[in-house]
Amino acid sequence: MATAANDAIESKPATPERVPIGSPVYNRILEAYYDEAEILDELRYNEWIEWLAKDLRYTVPQRLTRLLADHDKSIDRSVMHYDENYGTMCARARRLRGNSAFAEDPPSRTRRLITNVRVQLTETEGEYRVLNYMLLTRSRFEQTRMHVLSGERRDRIRDLGGRFELVEREVIIDQSVLGMPNLAIFL
Amino acid sequence: MLTRTSETLSDGTRIVDLVRPETREVELRVLSDREIYDLEMERVFGKTWLFLGHSSEIPSPGDFVMRDMGNDSVIVARDRAGEIHVSLNVCPHRGMRVCLADQGNTQVHKCVYHGWAFKPNGDFIGSPVAEEKMHGELTPKSELGLRKARVHIYAGLIFATWNIEGPSFDEFLGEMKWYYDMIFQRTEGGWEVLGPPQRFIVDANWKAAGEQSAADGFHTLTLHRWLDEMFGNGGSELTSTMYGVEVGSDHGHALRCQSLSKKFARAKDFDSGTMSIEERWNILPAPGCTTDMLDQVRSKLTPEQMEQLMTNPPQVGGMFPNVLLACIYAPQPDGRILGSMALHTYIPRGPDKLEFVNWVFAEKGTSEEDKQTMLRNTIFMLGTSGLVEQDDSDTWPHMTASARGAQGRKMTMKYQAINQLPPPANWRGPAIAYDGFTKDDTQWNWWMYWRELMSEPA
Ligand code: FES
Ligand SMILES: [Fe+2]
Repeated sequence: MATAANDAIESKPATPERVPIGSPVYNRILEAYYDEAEILDELRYNEWIEWLAKDLRYTVPQRLTRLLADHDKSIDRSVMHYDENYGTMCARARRLRGNSAFAEDPPSRTRRLITNVRVQLTETEGEYRVLNYMLLTRSRFEQTRMHVLSGERRDRIRDLGGRFELVEREVIIDQSVLGMPNLAIFL
Repeated sequence: MLTRTSETLSDGTRIVDLVRPETREVELRVLSDREIYDLEMERVFGKTWLFLGHSSEIPSPGDFVMRDMGNDSVIVARDRAGEIHVSLNVCPHRGMRVCLADQGNTQVHKCVYHGWAFKPNGDFIGSPVAEEKMHGELTPKSELGLRKARVHIYAGLIFATWNIEGPSFDEFLGEMKWYYDMIFQRTEGGWEVLGPPQRFIVDANWKAAGEQSAADGFHTLTLHRWLDEMFGNGGSELTSTMYGVEVGSDHGHALRCQSLSKKFARAKDFDSGTMSIEERWNILPAPGCTTDMLDQVRSKLTPEQMEQLMTNPPQVGGMFPNVLLACIYAPQPDGRILGSMALHTYIPRGPDKLEFVNWVFAEKGTSEEDKQTMLRNTIFMLGTSGLVEQDDSDTWPHMTASARGAQGRKMTMKYQAINQLPPPANWRGPAIAYDGFTKDDTQWNWWMYWRELMSEPA
């Protein structure tokens, strides 16, 4: 199962079975994504942790500048920016809620703009692949120049009936050199 | 109007006066001043040995990575014979950047502008349409190659300098090599890189990060106090890790050797003189090593170094001017203690900008599973999203902003916590060893070497 999921990330299947835009399932998923963005932008880390599955895998690979002939190697999954599971995400959230996470105290003001949401069925009943674009803006202190990070999130979510949970997220970012001084924020 | 001389800035300030030995102060303007920055590119980054990467990043002939020496881009490439070369990434024809990718493999580095071509060692091969002699005849072909830096490989680590006739790498490391060897030269295979380095921009002067790497232990107590809040029992553990021995040199290199008996309950008897090397190693191997590596380490190190490794191993520190070294313990949920090993460089990108480059390593002989665990631990603690270093990279920009103020730039950074203790008794290692609680001495040495280099005309 895990292997199948990883393969799906490596190469987007040519003919995935799409969940049509505007269908009831699609709309529910879209709402969950808008809610997640709001929760993170409002620093409600406890609620965000609730949206994470216990078997979560959360990664942010590096991007490299490679020549066109080697473009497939521009995503590097060795030393990543994030390489997390449920436990490490809880620890990160716990630190942010504590008294001494100075990287985010005072907190950044962020907006996660989520667009281009495409939902696909997976081989597992009740689990969906959700590909979406993210534009994150981050403002700290008096800086007038926003830090901006764009990327595609390649997710897998699980339908729990009344709500969804995030099982897998890989964020393909567009910068080879990040323009912000840390990732003390979640993507 | 005042003008600059080799010993003064254009406002008449003598460069030596920026660092004041009598009171151990450094003028804050050094973190923002463009003129000082420009001088540093010649007098510091043009003079010292600079860390560029690891030979395991470019294992095969033709492999290359693009890196930086100060504010110059360079190509680090392996030739057919396996030798590593470092060349200025500037086309001698009209200045186009020759190499455009972070890494790759080629035997011919060809400039996309007019097609001049170069070997991995930087030698000029030729230009297109040979019979038209588009590179002319005024300069011989032997002088049309890429500008070559002087290279030294130390335990797989790639260093280069523009100071072609200057001190050797061993002279540069000096007596500190005895300690670095305990980290980099202790196993058969040595370190290997676990992937391309993380890279990100911090809006800060490179020295804010550089001087901290010369072993600022003190900030851990406050800036990183979450370590105690999350992992400690009541908040006093961090203070105990401030004790140990700091070693430094007059070249600004520094390492913090923390006392194991003070840091780990399981190591409380390590100094007692009653435990053999094996006994101690099996309880707590050197950070980054696994217990099965003892024989290798023993054959590489002297008995004095082994004893040091089992009592006060070097764990964090740096190498002048812009390298941070971490070789730290990473306790696991199952009770084992693995290591986290990383090197950073802080690449100057202007007076108020640096690029943070973070390589993660493991000993070559480590099992694949342990390597992955060490890698995830390191990502969790260091670099881009690292819980420790997030806070550092959010601090340096404020220091840099302070240094831009008309009044702020006249303030000073103070290094007045001076070690008063005699050198540690029975200390086995060379260099300058400061016993006891972490103090400012090694960072002060860093500034004194900066001052020495900055006041010598390039
Ligand atoms: S600038 Fe490189 S060939 Fe002309
Ligand atoms: Fe720090």
